Amino acid sequence: MLEVELCKMKLKNPLILASGILGSYASSLNTIAENAGAVVTKSVGLEEKEGYRNPVVINLAHGILNAVGLASPGVEKFSEELKRFSKASKLIVSLFASSPKEFSKLVGYFELADAFELNLSCPHVKDVGLTIGNDAELVKEIVKAVKRETSKPVFPKLSAVSDYIEVAKAAEEGGADGIVAINTLKGMAIDIATKKPILSNISGGLSGEAIKPVAMKVVWDLYEELKIPIIASGGVTTWKDVIEFILGGARAVQIGSAIFYSYRIFYSLKESLIAYLRKEKTSIEDLVGLAHEK
Amino acid sequence: MFSLKIDKIIKHSETISTLFFNSRLKSYPGQFIMLNLPEYEEIPLSLSSPYSVTVKAVGETTEALIKIKAGERVGIRGPFGRPFSFTDKKALLVAGGIGAAPLYYLHDYLSARGADVTVLFGARTSDELVWKDKFLNAEFSTDDGSEGFKGNVVELMKEKDLTNYDRIYVCGPEAMIKGAFYHLKEENLLDITEFSLERYMRCGIGLCGSCVLEDGSRVCADGPVFSGEDLDGWI
Repeated sequence: MLEVELCKMKLKNPLILASGILGSYASSLNTIAENAGAVVTKSVGLEEKEGYRNPVVINLAHGILNAVGLASPGVEKFSEELKRFSKASKLIVSLFASSPKEFSKLVGYFELADAFELNLSCPHVKDVGLTIGNDAELVKEIVKAVKRETSKPVFPKLSAVSDYIEVAKAAEEGGADGIVAINTLKGMAIDIATKKPILSNISGGLSGEAIKPVAMKVVWDLYEELKIPIIASGGVTTWKDVIEFILGGARAVQIGSAIFYSYRIFYSLKESLIAYLRKEKTSIEDLVGLAHEK
Repeated sequence: MFSLKIDKIIKHSETISTLFFNSRLKSYPGQFIMLNLPEYEEIPLSLSSPYSVTVKAVGETTEALIKIKAGERVGIRGPFGRPFSFTDKKALLVAGGIGAAPLYYLHDYLSARGADVTVLFGARTSDELVWKDKFLNAEFSTDDGSEGFKGNVVELMKEKDLTNYDRIYVCGPEAMIKGAFYHLKEENLLDITEFSLERYMRCGIGLCGSCVLEDGSRVCADGPVFSGEDLDGWI
């Protein structure tokens, strides 16, 4: 009922942990993996990266604002850490880099990955993420380069603040197996008492409930334009959000900021989805893209 | 995030101060706040009362923080985290160094609600046994013997009969936590013991994963207070 097939990967349910949330250590990935179809790691680059100074995360009324700055131990240490992954779910390793060559170099470190996500959309770090994810030709080259290195599924993660249809089509032509949409949206906040921006990096990325309609529109558009599957990401908080994204065309759904409400959210969503699917006498697979039918 | 004004400062020693806010934080003992010192960094700090934090200068931000002047403002997120559980019976508080900070709050909270509270408070020297008059019924230890028992607080605890307590609460540096854990495990008391742990934190709200433990739990959101049984098996 809950199982979905995503680029020949069999997921026990359509719920995937989004990148950047609890993804730096195997222990927390293992906790989430118990109830998730897959987990995506924190993005990793070739070199160690300290990230920005605190404050890097603020909780707002309808979402989370962050500028962690792709903090990472670097690819060698991180690939060691992931050896303790339990394999209770599929493991998707998220990569960040600034060129096709660097991306393809990263792939070689992760024998144990079931798939790769390419971070082409982080909105607050120079030279990587969104800086390169806006360039359709470059995105195509990156996907091609990565696909030359691996036969595993490759999912570029795109931003809503780009010409996403053009970029997604370029990625598809380059051989992408699916598209993850969307990353956080650029945002910021100012403290009125100190009269200064709150995040140390000033600018950050907004996630959570506030961005759900934006993500929905992107998923909808991409479903109309692409042949490859879409993985939705952006504001999923309740089981209704999961169903909404599936109806809009997503084959799987990522959850991140909602962990703010509960560490057990994957379990709760899973149980709620089972109840819904039983009542409707249907399955996730049968609901994918149903809202597009005329 | 909101901001509070610093109303008053008690300078306990060269390196340790308590900063009082102009407003009470709705909180429980054991909880922490993310305190943002403008131009410096945002850091996690245990509350030492509903309206204060007790800080030791150990880095750039804490060094600037203990020199803050009354009237200055700091940014606050929280209070966050799982607090200590409650008892109105016999309680033992075991504090190591600046680990006493959340136990000042717990001491007052439990005492005001009828508990019989005993404190064991250890530090390297007598200078670091700060704000010790706050504890009504306490014994002290110092590594150099400059006050009380000569040795560390875990050694002092080993001399005590621990059987009659309803709850034992431990907070201090990693080595002291471990020492206390193994002793209390031997005494079969892990089920009545709670430990407050410390880790490097970024978000403070359970999302970023900087503070996850070996068993997958997050110090900021599933802790910082853990029962002895939670820690058994991996510590």
